[in-house]
Amino acid sequence: MATREKEEKVDVVIAGAGASGSTFAAVLAKAGKKVVLIENGPDWQLTDLISSDMWGRRIKPAGPPFILEGKQVAPIGYHGGWGVGGAALHWFANVPRLLPNDFRIKSEHNRAHDWPIAYEDVAPWYDKVAHDIGISGDAKAEELWRPAGRDYPMPPMKTFRNGEVWLKGFAANNIRMVPAAVAMNSVDFKDRPACIYDGWCHVGCPIGALANPQVTYLGEARAAGAEVRAWSTVTRVLTDASGKKATGVEYVDRDGEKHVQPASVVVCASWAAQNPRLLLNSATDKHPGGLANASGLVGKYIMTHFTAVTNAMFDDDLEGAKGTIGGQFMSYERYSKTAHKGAFGSTLLVCGGAAKASGLTGIHNARPDLFGPALAAFMKRAVKEFTRFTAACEEQPKIENRVELVSQKDEFGMPLARIVHNYDDNEAALWNANFEEGQKIAQASGAKEVWQLRTAMPAIHLMGGTIMGTDASNSVVNSFGQTHEVPNLYVAGPGIFPTCGASNPTYTIFALSLRAAENLASNWGAIAG
Amino acid sequence: MDAMKRRVFLKGASMGVLAFTVDGIDILMTAGEARARAVPFRLLNGEEAETLEALGEALVPGAREAGIAHFIDQQVSVPSGEALLEARIVNVKPPFVNFYRAAIGGVDKASTARSGKRFAALSASEQHDFIDQLRQNKIEGWQGPPAGLVYFVLRSDAVDVVYGTMEGYESLGVPYMPHIAPDKRW
Repeated sequence: MATREKEEKVDVVIAGAGASGSTFAAVLAKAGKKVVLIENGPDWQLTDLISSDMWGRRIKPAGPPFILEGKQVAPIGYHGGWGVGGAALHWFANVPRLLPNDFRIKSEHNRAHDWPIAYEDVAPWYDKVAHDIGISGDAKAEELWRPAGRDYPMPPMKTFRNGEVWLKGFAANNIRMVPAAVAMNSVDFKDRPACIYDGWCHVGCPIGALANPQVTYLGEARAAGAEVRAWSTVTRVLTDASGKKATGVEYVDRDGEKHVQPASVVVCASWAAQNPRLLLNSATDKHPGGLANASGLVGKYIMTHFTAVTNAMFDDDLEGAKGTIGGQFMSYERYSKTAHKGAFGSTLLVCGGAAKASGLTGIHNARPDLFGPALAAFMKRAVKEFTRFTAACEEQPKIENRVELVSQKDEFGMPLARIVHNYDDNEAALWNANFEEGQKIAQASGAKEVWQLRTAMPAIHLMGGTIMGTDASNSVVNSFGQTHEVPNLYVAGPGIFPTCGASNPTYTIFALSLRAAENLASNWGAIAG
Repeated sequence: MDAMKRRVFLKGASMGVLAFTVDGIDILMTAGEARARAVPFRLLNGEEAETLEALGEALVPGAREAGIAHFIDQQVSVPSGEALLEARIVNVKPPFVNFYRAAIGGVDKASTARSGKRFAALSASEQHDFIDQLRQNKIEGWQGPPAGLVYFVLRSDAVDVVYGTMEGYESLGVPYMPHIAPDKRW
């Protein structure tokens, strides 16, 4: 592999141009720093975002460098990102926030971990993100379950029959539903148009009604001078002879040329799977077990969410393809860690997501057992009568769930990584408890057919692997994502969550990244040296 | 993406078509049109294509005419990063042609072992029974990628070509509702 001369030194180099990397880039570029983002895939533009499940697969990984093991393998292909915008280019844009109880599970239940910060430390950043990227919802209604904060900048989204039909059943089970908070425009916002409710959010929104990085923080970063290098893969983080300072990154471009990008600060923002792989591949004599890995916890405590989905047919034309893919109503009513007897962990309830005719979340996959004429008959009915709701559940962190390097290498000579992931009996109990309640809700809703797929526990939303904590004895990074051992090296994204709650992670990724980036900008001299 | 690829990609996307090679020239057409015009396969051989068509049709009626074999053949011939296949998001390792060849080979081998006939030669009810066993990982002596994964991926491919297009939505009576067209058209 050819090696080019060193690039000119910059202030900040960021590995990954998704949700977290874009947020860091925006803050630091606007603070006058020279920022370079390095991203392994194409430089996607809004005009690339075609309304089609088939074409939408182009913005997802093809053959990611991970070997998946365990009974519930980690969600890489569907949930991962590939190219500029990362996974946030095709996110569902549900933005429930973590609640205060998520930050103190150890203190309150003697399980898992406490976060080194409290909800109150993150809440201002949730509010700020809402006004930066645009969130529609009813913040006051959410105060049933969380401390008061700022109102969202936009009113709730429109609702449709495929969500409304569930409300009677939830109410009958004493579950209060409120408008779902979503990072979509219910009205025009910051020169971006209002949503047109066509349900194609999950393959990328080309009109900018949904807050993907291209129309939010990444756009701001570019406008402030940040440079994006697409088709380039970071393979190592480089450190000085002392091992106490990051000096830049090594990366390989599309032509196979190796580059060194020196920088005063390095941010690893390549998702919960790739960040540990990168740190482990950056071992030196001063960091023999992997960079910033004195704790031995790099790659450990990988977590996912799991969903208990209740499917139903109603005697109604629900127009299931309309709306947004995320949801219309949500509830934290079962968010207490002990809400379900005999199980531990939070549940977030969401209903009203659009259902398309194909794709992984398509209506055909609501009955994966059907094929041939039976499937054709089901499709004809389901496009009118089908809807579903989701109970999203929290996994507790387990050190055995991990990312680790293997001897096999990729085309850049970088070791592949194995991701091992399993749930335990507690997660199974929480899953089953939600199915039981789901049946009651569906029956009370007046559904004429109800079914649930209990054959395999799903894994969605990869988190953990570089968790935050108080020091290197219990964690990889502090609450800003700053590694304990190398102060000018940051990890950003869901990997730094020490526990994962049941809320979709991207809002918290934005909030933590904004908090960390503004702290870095304010303390630049002390951190960047 | 470079400019040429973007043009082909976006033109194809907006029209629901793919690039097929006819007499050495790339022509944009639907997979169904490619089948109707008997466009030569790029990678699949005749028996593999025949098995794919039979499997697709048994999984989702209409998949044969919609060109499932041409769709998959074209898709496994392009770089994995450009592929539109469900395989890429359920962690199938590229090159995807290896998966399909192993899957088709596994189906025909198992079918021959059970019935003395390749899958395409089975009666409709025999094909149904075979797929039902495949779906449940119950085919004795199965050799190939995990049988349940083969079922899932091929079923998804068949759903894609039958229902996943604008014509497919129309056949179901569902409005396709594409987003506002981009300003820049190719």
